[in-house]
Amino acid sequence: MARRAAAWEQGGDEYDYLFKIVLIGDSGVGKSNLLSRFTKNTFSLDSKSTIGVEFATRTIEVEGKTIKAQIWDTAGQERYRAITSAYYRGAVGALLVYDVTKGATFDNVKRWLKELRDHADSNIVIMLIGNKMDLKHLRSVAQEDAASFAEREGLSFIETSALDATNVDRAFQTVLGEIYRIISKKALSTDDSGAGAVKEGQSIQVSAGDSSSVSSRCCSF
Amino acid sequence: MDKKKGVDDTEPGPAPSRPVDRFGFIKTEHSNSPEGILKSRSTHEHEREERRIRKWRKMIGVGGSDWKHYVRRKPHVVKRRIRKGIPDCLRGLVWQLISGSRDLLLMNPGVYETLVIYETSSSELEIIRDISRTFPSHIFFQQRHGPGQRSLYNVLKAYSVYDRDVGYVQGMGFIAGLLLLYMSEEDAFWLIVALLKGAVHSPMEGLYQAGLPLVQQYLCQFEKLVTEHMPKLGQHFQDEMINPSMYASQWFITVFSYSFPFHLTLRVWDVFLYEGIKVVFQVGLALLRFCHDDLVNLPFEQLLHSLRNFPEEATDPDTLLPLAFSFKVSSRLVELDKEYRKKLEGPSASSSSKRFQPLKSRVMSRASSHVSSSPNVSKK
Ligand SMILES: Nc1nc2c(ncn2[C@@H]2O[C@H](COP(=O)(O)OP(=O)(O)OP(=O)(O)O)[C@@H](O)[C@H]2O)c(=O)[nH]1
Ligand SMILES: [Mg+2]
Repeated sequence: MARRAAAWEQGGDEYDYLFKIVLIGDSGVGKSNLLSRFTKNTFSLDSKSTIGVEFATRTIEVEGKTIKAQIWDTAGQERYRAITSAYYRGAVGALLVYDVTKGATFDNVKRWLKELRDHADSNIVIMLIGNKMDLKHLRSVAQEDAASFAEREGLSFIETSALDATNVDRAFQTVLGEIYRIISKKALSTDDSGAGAVKEGQSIQVSAGDSSSVSSRCCSF
Repeated sequence: MDKKKGVDDTEPGPAPSRPVDRFGFIKTEHSNSPEGILKSRSTHEHEREERRIRKWRKMIGVGGSDWKHYVRRKPHVVKRRIRKGIPDCLRGLVWQLISGSRDLLLMNPGVYETLVIYETSSSELEIIRDISRTFPSHIFFQQRHGPGQRSLYNVLKAYSVYDRDVGYVQGMGFIAGLLLLYMSEEDAFWLIVALLKGAVHSPMEGLYQAGLPLVQQYLCQFEKLVTEHMPKLGQHFQDEMINPSMYASQWFITVFSYSFPFHLTLRVWDVFLYEGIKVVFQVGLALLRFCHDDLVNLPFEQLLHSLRNFPEEATDPDTLLPLAFSFKVSSRLVELDKEYRKKLEGPSASSSSKRFQPLKSRVMSRASSHVSSSPNVSKK
């Protein structure tokens, strides 16, 4: 898709909104591949585990507005939360990913939700994603179970496959759309641009500043 | 191990006909190793290399017998030669000599085997999950359940038992994998012990312990050094809200073995094992310096992209390393370390300089005693 490449290469930052999104979930569930599928349309069978955080962007249209997603992909291993949790701050959306073939990664979703509650903004939009749905014969988490769990917790939910690209765009689109609707409503009712992470127009500086929590955390001696 | 079949398993087995570079990585169109390095070497170059190897052999002695003596007499010659690169055919041996791992191995006969055979680790599943995600493009590690993957598993499992505080942390696999290309499982294991427990330099286990304390510390120190050595870039980073955890975590956690061209990784490791972690700071600074004039003009996103994708010219060891060594950081690092510690511990504690005395004997006896007493129980 030409638009994807163009937005990056020109650095042509023409967008109405910039949303910071985090990808979280256990190691190996496919976060990095979901991201590369969404931003570069690529997939790799033996991708390296993420060390720390990775970053990518893509711009899409939602209801006639151009929305740029600034996506932080985090390392899934628990030990890495020491580094990655700083990136939840200022995020307006989170994709919480589990692997439909590994029940344990679904069981851990609760812990990830707690992580978000502890470290992220309270009004963050969270979407639960059951990835690797292409592995039908290995499925161990029923779609209905995940769906009802999501409903109880007030999360949106979708199953995806980074491998064959099923629902990947839709997942991101849903989250971005949801955020957009919340933001635009808020803007109407309070005339305040809402969550700190979202600014209209040429706001890359400000938005990059959403990672300020990350930078200030470190060196202040 | 589940013997389930899935897409994960449908990759074609190792295809022996696929071309590999001189380190055993399968070549891609834009391969990790620039062709420049592979281009036919002139006979002149070849002879020079031969002479170099002869010199090294003399310095080492048979099986490393003369090494200690030589280092004691001429540490600067050794340092200079190591900075030029250890001959690849001697690398495995020399790495063991300079890291102190040889001594650990000799002091703990049979320990590794015990760890591998008799102990179980709570990290086993995590390790297995990552095995095929470690150097996936290297022929040694490609084959599922092949010797490479098995060795990698054994070393990581053994370490996770040996040091239960650390266990297994993603990133260690790259270090173990790198070592396994140059030495046996047991040798690789003791080299990791030597590094993390501090046989020669200060211990690095903090890179992997809960909270990743040493990663946090190094990133902090690195940020300071950037500002001090490249004020303009430091300011630009600050303006753009870029901090080192966004790009340099893996530099420290895997000591440049995660995503850099392999020939650079090796040269960094030569120096790292002899001179310590300081070289990671120096190489990091050199990368930034090399791209400085581009970096200072880039906005947040492109900046971040550039910091994770350095151009090939920047990662040529013969350019990058001399530039790296031009940064004098040793004494400043010690100061920054003290400051950081003081800051962490508050005004009360002050007797924490222990970590700065890489007392070989102290550390080794600690490492060995807790092994020989009970490999099951790590310290505490
Ligand atoms: N069959 C199938 N495999 C997938 C899918 N998504 C990812 N994988 C595989 O799962 C493994 C892990 O994928 P990653 O994207 O690296 O996982 P991650 O969540 O980023 O893992 P960490 O970085 O360690 O936290 C890789 O071998 C991928 O090829 C999918 O949709 N279907
Ligand atoms: Mg990942």
